[in-house]
Amino acid sequence: MDDEFNELEAELKRLRPVAGSPVLAARVEQVLGAPMPRRSYWTWAALPFAAALAGVVLLKENRALPVPVTVPATARVTATYKPVSAENILYDHRDEGLVTLADGTTARRYLSSYVDTITWKNPRTQASLRWSVPRTEERVVPVSFQ
Amino acid sequence: MEDIPDDASWKDWFERHGPKLLLCARQWTRSLADAEDVVQEAFVRFWRRQRQLGGAPLALLITSVRRAAVDLARRNARRGAREERAEGGMENTEPIFETPLEGDDRRQAIESALRQLPAEQREVLVLKIWGELTFEQIAAQLDIPPNTAASRYRYALAALREILTAADCHG
Repeated sequence: MDDEFNELEAELKRLRPVAGSPVLAARVEQVLGAPMPRRSYWTWAALPFAAALAGVVLLKENRALPVPVTVPATARVTATYKPVSAENILYDHRDEGLVTLADGTTARRYLSSYVDTITWKNPRTQASLRWSVPRTEERVVPVSFQ
Repeated sequence: MEDIPDDASWKDWFERHGPKLLLCARQWTRSLADAEDVVQEAFVRFWRRQRQLGGAPLALLITSVRRAAVDLARRNARRGAREERAEGGMENTEPIFETPLEGDDRRQAIESALRQLPAEQREVLVLKIWGELTFEQIAAQLDIPPNTAASRYRYALAALREILTAADCHG
């Protein structure tokens, strides 16, 4: 660029853009700190195992507590742990473009990827259990051309 | 432009480049809050899926920011992308730059002058100065010829200098 603008360019370069709010950094940390979501079939296939594992963890902890043996395991779980938060984080949204549906309708396809996180807490022991599940939502919105 | 090592911390990268990305995002969004949403979406996508790709990381990130901004405008079914850009997150009164130790009046004058620039000139200026892109990269981002990008940059600097000079004379 011309020499006539060198001084102004240098002055502009010395200015530092403001950082985002602390909430922005916290939101990024929340997403990047979460387990990497996968979209494959195996992710969904693994969910029952994850649920079973969570159940085992809960039951193991309850074993140490003086609970009557006649109380069903599910009742003990709900009595011990209470859900304290449920959130979903959108970390990707894509416009997949136009598609033609089976009936010939033209539509636009959107893919949104989330991480759903549910947290339970034992109010007595303060122990907590967090369950994060990746989820992909597909939306097909009919479009019309005028 | 540096490569990103495999063991790089996203926090270091976000701290260093986040403000530049936010400023770029503000060129294409209606509010600072929208710009933050766009930066979050773009940065997460970049860090998880694109940082191993070849090329200049910052340019790739800015591409991701622009794409996220356009997606946001479409999602919200607001006005067309060009009108979105013209409204811009720069139109509000939120500060654009950090307050320097000296010369805060000058910072305010520059911010005010930037806000007076036509959006198409300002976005080129921002991408060149703070986005550290070449005219070729800017042209690719905005889908314009490189010569047009260079012309807009020059017009922006000339207009900025004129506004600042007038402000100095009156102030």
